[in-house]
Amino acid sequence: MSSNVSGSSFPDPDTSRVVRFAARPRPNAPPGKNGFLNLSLLLLVLLSSSGLLAIEEGELKATPATIRLRGQLSSQQVLLTTSRDGVDVDLTRQAEFQPANEDLLRVDGKGILTAIGSGRTEVVIRYEKKEVRIPVEILKGETWLPVTFEQDIQPVLTKLGCNAGTCHGKQRGQNGFQLSLLGFDHDFDFDALVREGRGRRVFPASPANSLLLLKAAALTPHGGGKRIAPAGKHYNTLKRWIAAGLPRTPPETPKLQRVSVFPTERIMRPRTGQQILVTAHYSDGSSRDVTRLAAYQSNESPIAKVGKTGLVQAGPLPGEAAIMTRYMGKFATFSVSIPLEGEIPAEYYRSLERNNFIDELVWKKLERLKIKPSPQCGDSEYLRRVYIDVIGRLPSPAETRTFLSSKDPAKRRDLVDSLLSRPEYADHWANKWVDLLRPNPYRVGIKAVRSLDRWVRKNFRENKPYDRFVHDLLTSQGSTFRNGAVTVFRDRRSPEELVTMFSQLFLGIRLECARCHQHPFEIWSQKDFYSLAAYFAKVGRKGTGLSPPISGSEEYIFTKKGGEVRHPRTNEILPPRPLFGDSPTLSSSQDPRQALALWMLRKDNGFFPAVMVNRVWADLMGRGIVEPVDDIRESNPPSNKELLDALARHFREVNYDLKTLLRTILASRVYSLSSRPGERNIADTRNYSRHYRQRLRAEVLLDGVCDITGIPEKFSAMPPGSRAAELWTHRTASNFLDTFGRPDPNQDPPCMRIEDTTVVQALHLMNAPNLDRKIRNENGRAAALAASKMSPEEIVEELYLLVYARYPQDEEMRAGSSRIPPAGTPVKGRRSAVEDLLWALLNTPEFLFKD
Amino acid sequence: MKKPTSRSHQVNCEGLSRRSCLQLGLGSFLGGGLVSALRFRSLAASEGAAATAPTSCILVWLDGGPTHYETFDPKPEAPKEIRGEYETIPTGIPGVRFSKHMKRLAGITDKLAIIRSIRHDHGNHGAGNHYMMTGAPTRIPVSCGAFVSFHPSLGSVTARERGAPKGLPAYFSLGRMSRSGGPNFLGARHAPFVVKNDPNQGSFRVRDVALPKGLDGARFSSRQDIRREVDRFLRIQNETAGDPVAAYDEYFRQGHDLITSAQAQEAFDIHREPSTTRDLYGRNSFGQRALLARRLVEAGVPFVTLYDGGWDHHTNLFKSLDTMLPPRDRALAALIQDLDQRGMLDSTMVICLGEFGRTPKINERGGRDHWSNAMSVLFAGGRTPGGQVVGATDRKGYSASRRVLSPENFASTIYKKLGIDPGKILYTPEGRPIHLVSDPTPIRELMG
Repeated sequence: MSSNVSGSSFPDPDTSRVVRFAARPRPNAPPGKNGFLNLSLLLLVLLSSSGLLAIEEGELKATPATIRLRGQLSSQQVLLTTSRDGVDVDLTRQAEFQPANEDLLRVDGKGILTAIGSGRTEVVIRYEKKEVRIPVEILKGETWLPVTFEQDIQPVLTKLGCNAGTCHGKQRGQNGFQLSLLGFDHDFDFDALVREGRGRRVFPASPANSLLLLKAAALTPHGGGKRIAPAGKHYNTLKRWIAAGLPRTPPETPKLQRVSVFPTERIMRPRTGQQILVTAHYSDGSSRDVTRLAAYQSNESPIAKVGKTGLVQAGPLPGEAAIMTRYMGKFATFSVSIPLEGEIPAEYYRSLERNNFIDELVWKKLERLKIKPSPQCGDSEYLRRVYIDVIGRLPSPAETRTFLSSKDPAKRRDLVDSLLSRPEYADHWANKWVDLLRPNPYRVGIKAVRSLDRWVRKNFRENKPYDRFVHDLLTSQGSTFRNGAVTVFRDRRSPEELVTMFSQLFLGIRLECARCHQHPFEIWSQKDFYSLAAYFAKVGRKGTGLSPPISGSEEYIFTKKGGEVRHPRTNEILPPRPLFGDSPTLSSSQDPRQALALWMLRKDNGFFPAVMVNRVWADLMGRGIVEPVDDIRESNPPSNKELLDALARHFREVNYDLKTLLRTILASRVYSLSSRPGERNIADTRNYSRHYRQRLRAEVLLDGVCDITGIPEKFSAMPPGSRAAELWTHRTASNFLDTFGRPDPNQDPPCMRIEDTTVVQALHLMNAPNLDRKIRNENGRAAALAASKMSPEEIVEELYLLVYARYPQDEEMRAGSSRIPPAGTPVKGRRSAVEDLLWALLNTPEFLFKD
Repeated sequence: MKKPTSRSHQVNCEGLSRRSCLQLGLGSFLGGGLVSALRFRSLAASEGAAATAPTSCILVWLDGGPTHYETFDPKPEAPKEIRGEYETIPTGIPGVRFSKHMKRLAGITDKLAIIRSIRHDHGNHGAGNHYMMTGAPTRIPVSCGAFVSFHPSLGSVTARERGAPKGLPAYFSLGRMSRSGGPNFLGARHAPFVVKNDPNQGSFRVRDVALPKGLDGARFSSRQDIRREVDRFLRIQNETAGDPVAAYDEYFRQGHDLITSAQAQEAFDIHREPSTTRDLYGRNSFGQRALLARRLVEAGVPFVTLYDGGWDHHTNLFKSLDTMLPPRDRALAALIQDLDQRGMLDSTMVICLGEFGRTPKINERGGRDHWSNAMSVLFAGGRTPGGQVVGATDRKGYSASRRVLSPENFASTIYKKLGIDPGKILYTPEGRPIHLVSDPTPIRELMG
C-alpha cells in the first residue's frame, strides 16, 4: 500500500479483505479476454500467500477521465475501478496516486486531488504494477475564487447539519437562531445570518470573531457541539465569505440543474467498499465535484451503509440497497446489489418458463441476485389464492371439487375469466377504493357517504376504465345526493386538502410536507404545492355545509367564477401549474379541474399508471414494488424498476382496463409461485421469487367465517344477508372487523388498514362469543352436518373443502374421522365433535392466511 | 411481596425445557437469531438471581406533551404571558412549588423525584414520542402524524430481557398502544398486550380472554388437542424469510396462555378490589387503569404502560387542565401511596411524562405549543430517593439549564432499575448490532 493510504486517518476497512477475497480459489473462472490476464495472475500470486488464483482482472479505469479544476484548493474526487470476474470493483483506496507535478496538485489517500497551482499536469494512479494516467488542467490555482452565499455557503451549512430538521432548520429554530430546512429559502437564511440579531453572527471586520465560526468550531459553547475544525476547509470557506463582505451569489450565476452520481449501480461482494462520486451540473454546462458536500442515506443500512464522505460499505448479507445522495435539493441514487454467494449457470434462468413480460423481468432480476424462484404452486393453493385475490371469498366445496377434478390444461385461465365476471369482483375491488376515499359519515352525513359508496361500486360493476374513474371523480359536479363522487369535495373543503389527497392517491406523490416547507427527500417546493392546489381554487359549494355529527344536508359542487390560491409566505397569487411538464391551456370559464385531469392523464405522466399498478401488484403479491405503495419518488426506489415501468406501460396500453391488468398478472408464472422457499430464495422478501403470505383482510375473513359456518352476520343499517364486503361505512359496529384491522375512521390516517396479526386476533378467533354462536348454532353448518346421514369421512372432507379449499390427506382423514361418531349415533355427540373440528380448523393459520 | 415469577416452572436442570426450546425456535425467528437464543439461555440460567430484585415499571404516558408550567415546574416570577393563570402551591420540599392542581402529589413529595431538566430536540409528536419511549432518536426526520418505530420501546425490551410471569404477558399497554411503544426488530412476541376496555365500567372484562358461555375448560382443552393435530401448515423456519405465520403462532400461544391462566383472570378482575380502594384511585377511566396497573404488577408483570391521551393543548389550556389534572393528581398519588402501603414501592417504579414540555409563551388561542427544550418528569419508587428535584430550567422555563439530561439518560435509568444493562448490544434479525441506549449513563440522583 502506498504511504498515502497508511498515512491517512481515514478508516480503510476493506484493505485486508480485498486480499482475502482475491485469495479464494476460482478454478472455474472463464479464460481471460485480454492481454492483462497473465500479468494480473502474476500480480495476484505475488499478493496472496496461497498462490492459487485464477481471477480475471480487467484494466484500470479512472473516473473522471480528465479533470479541470478552477481556483485554489478546488478539488476533485477520483475513482479507480477495475473489473474482476466481470464485476466492477473500486480500488480507489488501495491505489497510489502520484501527481506529476507536486507544485500544482496535492493528492490524498482517498483519491481527492486538490489544486495548489495553475497549469497542465497529470496524475499517475498505480495499483499493483498497473497504472493509469489522467490529465489535469488547473486554472487560477493560486487564486481564491470568490465565495458567495447561495453557491458556496448554503451547501456548507447543509453538510454541517446546521439547517437540519433536528437543529436550526426546525420550525422554530434552535436557541433563537432559525434557518430554513436544508437551506430551501436563501433569502430567509441570508437574513438570519447577516441581519438578524443586529448582525452579531457575522463580523466582517474580524471574521474569526464571528459568532457563526466561534459556535460552529465550538470555540464558544454551542449546543450542537463542534461541527468544524478551526482552519479546516469548511471553516476557511465560511471565513473567506465573511471577510469578503458576505456577498450573495449574483442572479446571473449559472443555476444548479441536477446532480449525477458515479457509479449509478454496482454489484458488490459482501464486506467490500465503494466510494461514490457526486457531480453537480449547472445551467452553463459546467460541473463540479460535490462529493464532500453531498448528504448520503442508505435505505437498507444493514445491507449497505454509507458514511459522510460517500464511502459505501457492503455488509455481510446478500440483498439490495439504494444510496440516496442529496445536494442542494437535487438527488441521485446509487444502487447496490449484493448477490448470493455461489454461481448459477445462465442456462438455468434461460430455461425458466415465461408466460409474459412479468416473468421475463422478474427472472432477470433474480438472475442478477442469483436467487432461484420457488416451483409453481399446486391447484388447490392456486384456487384459494385466486378466489381471495379476485373476488375476496373462499371457493365453495362444489367449486373446489369441480376445479380440482378438471383435466383442462387451460383451467387456471378459465377460472380467472369466470371470477372476473362475478358480481363479488366489483364489491371486493371497490372496497379497496372506498377504503381510501370514504369519509366519516358523522362528519359529512350518512346520505352523502352512501352516495359515494354506491358511485364507486357502480364504477367497478361497469368496469369503467381507471382513467375515466379518476377523471370523473376529480371533475365531479352536482349534488351530494345524486352524484356520489362529489362527496369527496364535501369532505375535503380546501384546495390544500384536496391536492394532498389527489396527488397521493392517484400519482403516488406525497405533498403534505411541501405545504409548510420543502421536504428533505423530495423535490417539490411550497410553490409547487400551492400552484397545484390552485387547480381546486374554483371548486364552489352551495347548500348546507358540514354540521357534525349529523351533517345530513344536501350540498352542490360547482365551478365558481373566481377563486385563487396564494403562496403563504410571499402572498403571491399562484396560477394553476402542474408539478412537471407543460401546463394545459385554460380558458377563464373552464373548470380548472378539467385541466388538472388532462395533465394527470397525459401519456407522459408515468406516475399515474405506476401508482395504480403498484397498488394492484401489492395486493396480489403481498408487497409493493414500491413501499409504501403510494410513495413514489426518486429517494424511495422500486425493488424492480423495469417491472414497475412495464406494468405501468401495459396498463396504459390496455386503456386502463383493470380486469385486463389483473388477467395479465394472474397469468404470470410469478403469480403462481409456491410460498415454500428453497435454499436460494428463503431470504428474499422483495423480488417475488416466491409467493409472500398475507393474512386475509377483515371483510374476507368475516365473510369466509359466515359462509363456512352457514350463519350470516347481521349488520346495522344493512339489509339482512348483507356481506361484510358490501358495508358502506366502517362505522357499522363489528368487533370482528375492528379486531382484524379494518380502517378506523377515528384514527389518523383514517384509511390505514392493519395487516399484521395480533394476540387479540388470535383470542378473537378462539373465544369471541359471536364466533362461538356461529360454530355452535343449531341452524349452522356443524349442526346440519351432524344431523345428516353423512359418514364421518364425508363430514371431514366437507369441512376441509370449506375451510382450506382442499381435500384432507389420508392421515388428516383418519385423525378427523376417528373423532366423529358414525351416522345414526346420537346427534348431540356428533354435533359437538363436528363443532370442535370446525373450531380447530378455523383457528389454524392455513385458514387465516393466503398461501 | 412478589414471588419469583419468571419462567422457572418451565426450566429443567439442563437450563431449558423442551417447551422453552420450542419458544426458542420461535424467538430466533422473531428476535435476534442465534445471538438472542444464547442470551435467552443465559437469562434462563440466571433466573434465580434475577428473582431477588425484580423491579417493575408503571409508565404513565401523557400523550401529546404535558405542560411543565402547570404541573411540576411553575414559574410564578415570570411575566403573565409565561406563568399563566394558575397559582402555585408549596410542597414538602422547602422552596419547591408545584402548580395548583398537583395538590395530592405535593403532599407526598417525600416519595417523589421530579426531573426538570430532561430536554431533546424532537419537537413533534412522532419523533418526541419515539425518543422518550425508546431512548433513541428517530433515524430519519419524521413528522407529527408519524407512527414510527426504529428502535424497540422500553416496554418491549423489558419484556424480552425480563420475560413474562406465569400466564401473563410481560408488557401491557392500558387504554391503547402508544405510537412508538412497539417491539420493532425484537419481533411481535414483545409487542404490548393492549387492554382497550375501560376498567371503570361495571361490565369490565378483557375481551375474548374469557371462554364463551357454555364452553367448559375440558372442551376447550380438547379443542386445542384437535387443533394441534390438524395444524399442518408449513412453517418457514428462517427468520429472514419474514413469514407472518411465525408471528401468528406466537400470538396464538400467548392468547392460549392468557385464557388458561388463573393468574391472568385474577389480575384482570378489578371487581375484587374493595370499593374504598377503587374510590381512592378515583372512579374514572384513568384512576381505574392505574389500579389495574397495580394489580398487573402485583401479579408479576414487569412493565405496564398507562396510556392517557389528550395532552396536546394548543388551545384552551387552562380550561382543559381544570378538568384533566385533578383526577390524574389523585390517581397518581393514590397509586404511589397504595404501592407504598403494600410494600411494593421499592420494587415498582412509577414514572409520568409525555413526549415534551410546552412553549413558554401562551399563544393567542390560550394554549401552549410543542417545546422539547424543557419538560418535567415524575419518578417514584424503585428505590428512587424521594424529596428531590433534579436539575432546573431557566428563570422563565425556556430551557433546561442546570444538570441538563437527555432522553438517553432517562431510558438508561429505567433500564438500570429494571436490572437491564443499558449499554448492552442488541442484534437485529439481519445480525446488525445496535446499542440498547447510545449513552448508557443513568441519572445518578435517581439511583439511590
